[in-house]
Amino acid sequence: MNFSFETIWHNLPYLLAAARWTLIISLAGMAISVIWGICICAARISSSRLLSGIAALYISFFRGVPLLVQILVFFYILPYVGLDLPAIAAAIAAVGLCSAAYSAEILRGSLQAIPAGQTEAAHALGMPPMSLWRRILVPQAIRIGLPSLINELILLVKVSSLASVVGIGELTRVAQNITGQTYRPLEIYITAAVLYFLINLVISRAGLLAEKRLKVS
Amino acid sequence: MELDLFLRYGPALLEGFGVTVLCWIVGSLGGVVLGFILACLYRWGPAPLRWVIYAYVEVIRGTPFMIQLFLLYYGGPYMGLVLTPIQAGILSFIVYGSPYFAEIFRSGFNAIPLGQIEAARCLGIPEWRIVLRITLPQMLVPITAPLTNFFIILTKETAILATVTVPELLFQVQSMMAETFTYVEPLLALSLFYWFMVTLTARFGAWVETRVTRHLSRA
Amino acid sequence: MSEPILTVRGLSKRFGDFEALRHIDLDVNQNEVLCLIGPSGSGKSTLLRCLNFLEAYDDGEVRLEGELIGWREGGASPRRALASGALRKQRQGIGMVFQQFNLWPHMTALGNVTEALMQVKGLSRKQAEEKAQAALEKVGLSDKAGNHPANLSGGQQQRVAIARAVAMEPRLMLFDEPTSALDPELVGEVLAAMKQMAAEGMTMVVVTHEMGFAAHVADRVAFLDGGRLVGVTPPSEIFGKEPEDPRIQRFLQTYRERNVV
Ligand SMILES: Nc1ncnc2c1ncn2[C@@H]1O[C@H](COP(=O)(O)OP(=O)(O)OP(=O)(O)O)[C@@H](O)[C@H]1O
Ligand SMILES: [Mg+2]
Repeated sequence: MNFSFETIWHNLPYLLAAARWTLIISLAGMAISVIWGICICAARISSSRLLSGIAALYISFFRGVPLLVQILVFFYILPYVGLDLPAIAAAIAAVGLCSAAYSAEILRGSLQAIPAGQTEAAHALGMPPMSLWRRILVPQAIRIGLPSLINELILLVKVSSLASVVGIGELTRVAQNITGQTYRPLEIYITAAVLYFLINLVISRAGLLAEKRLKVS
Repeated sequence: MELDLFLRYGPALLEGFGVTVLCWIVGSLGGVVLGFILACLYRWGPAPLRWVIYAYVEVIRGTPFMIQLFLLYYGGPYMGLVLTPIQAGILSFIVYGSPYFAEIFRSGFNAIPLGQIEAARCLGIPEWRIVLRITLPQMLVPITAPLTNFFIILTKETAILATVTVPELLFQVQSMMAETFTYVEPLLALSLFYWFMVTLTARFGAWVETRVTRHLSRA
Repeated sequence: MSEPILTVRGLSKRFGDFEALRHIDLDVNQNEVLCLIGPSGSGKSTLLRCLNFLEAYDDGEVRLEGELIGWREGGASPRRALASGALRKQRQGIGMVFQQFNLWPHMTALGNVTEALMQVKGLSRKQAEEKAQAALEKVGLSDKAGNHPANLSGGQQQRVAIARAVAMEPRLMLFDEPTSALDPELVGEVLAAMKQMAAEGMTMVVVTHEMGFAAHVADRVAFLDGGRLVGVTPPSEIFGKEPEDPRIQRFLQTYRERNVV
């Protein structure tokens, strides 16, 4: 059996359409990850022992359990407790909530890199804590943490493949389906791999550009 | 409570645990060895070889583990590579982990100040001896944390092997769920179990780290 | 003064388009202490590093007791570097002490000194340790043999580095600003160890900003500027009266203004 470019050519449109879902899951997941990550980070470094402890537990748990298992938990257990999310929403939520644990730690590291003098200066000006966070700390933390956050997004593109397990028609799932019809796993999976690689290439290049832009300003 | 359920499936779960640990240990150790070889070839090899390694690292790191696993397991037979699920699982683990380990070793090599190497050269110590006696022992310090980190990532990655019917833990739990229509307890128990394993690995890594950095702290 | 042990002829070194060293001619005599001074970026370190081939020089020759350093003898063009074993052999005859000490932090002071004795000279552990103890004793550190570098002061670390180099019994010692990374109160102990070596007849090339050391210990002082060797004179000619060369004048002036001399 030789390599069939024709198979690839025939199925490319389906794979590309599926890649869109891969992108949707990872981008939506990333949005949840950053926003929720900021909240967890704030809790983690807050002076309240309780909040900080809960955040630490959250981070440890979501980083300690395989994402695949988390997706299954969301898929099977949420309906059980009466929260009947569509599969795609469950997958995005799982990806986002898990990734938030990592984003929180990235942001915490970035915050530590901001000189304490800035906070003191803001206090000296009588700036309220909310503005200090919104206007000074968070923007800088995101800037410092940008390379790591971009990395996290690339990771999400890759782990979005796990959503295939609960039947979401993203790139990996569609590749599986096509393979089931064509019996051409080599061609189809290589194509899928190339698509994943290209998506990540674009993201990492864009990330480098963004980093450069932010540095100049 | 579904305790008797866990008892009934005890042997299967135990077997799943064994397979998980087997894949994890053999796969990560294989990945470490291959990664180290890649890092050395990258550092001392000729230019064309370095490009190949660079491309390998980028491609593996840019694609999902699941796709690599499927390629190996389902695509393998078309390349004359017929593997059992466990073999495919371990081999894909080695392939998947090696570029990350190679990067860790590469940064480890770079972390040793050049001056120390030059001091050794001035004394006439051979290059391979310098690597063995000066670079490697010191590299342990900066690489322990990222190594532990990646071992942990691999612990969790074992769950994905269930998708190609490797009879590891998640696979056993899934068959248990399918046969008994209970989902909540098995999944929660499984989560706790992984969490426990990961925390244990992290603790162990931290312990190793304090040991290898002992000479750096003032007595 | 006796025979030159080290001869440098027409030495040039480029980094890309930048000429770091331009046609240097220099002799270092047996048992002599030669100090290299000059402004920052003038090429002092580069010259020193060419002498033991840590930098591969482009043109010219460096010879230690007549033996060409780093390159193969014979007129092949481009020149071919020596086999690594032969280069290692040459380097054993040239000790080097760095500004940043470059001790190996995972080994004790004793381990730092014994390492090359065992791995290069092939001594047994016992022989190596005896020899290392003697070398440490000489720099006044016999009681610190078991310490790791993290538990030594900067001055002590530098003295271990000196012992490490001296224990190999080199014919020539190179020092690249050995006291520049030290707190002022620690400079003296390192200079004392170097003075003692000089008194025992070690041939030394010392890059230094310690004009006191240059004035009192050096047999000759070489002044480097912009990659060129401006002059080589006895220290009295530079420090005793006003030097003739305006570049040396200017260089020393800045030192006097900072009260270094
Ligand atoms: N590896 C290198 N690549 C490019 N340029 C270099 C390199 N090493 C040194 N140079 C340049 O060569 C010149 C001489 O450097 P060198 O370190 O020899 O100066 P120096 O006299 O030792 O100065 P200092 O007193 O600051 O130590 C400098 O302009 C430096 O920038
Ligand atoms: Mg210098």
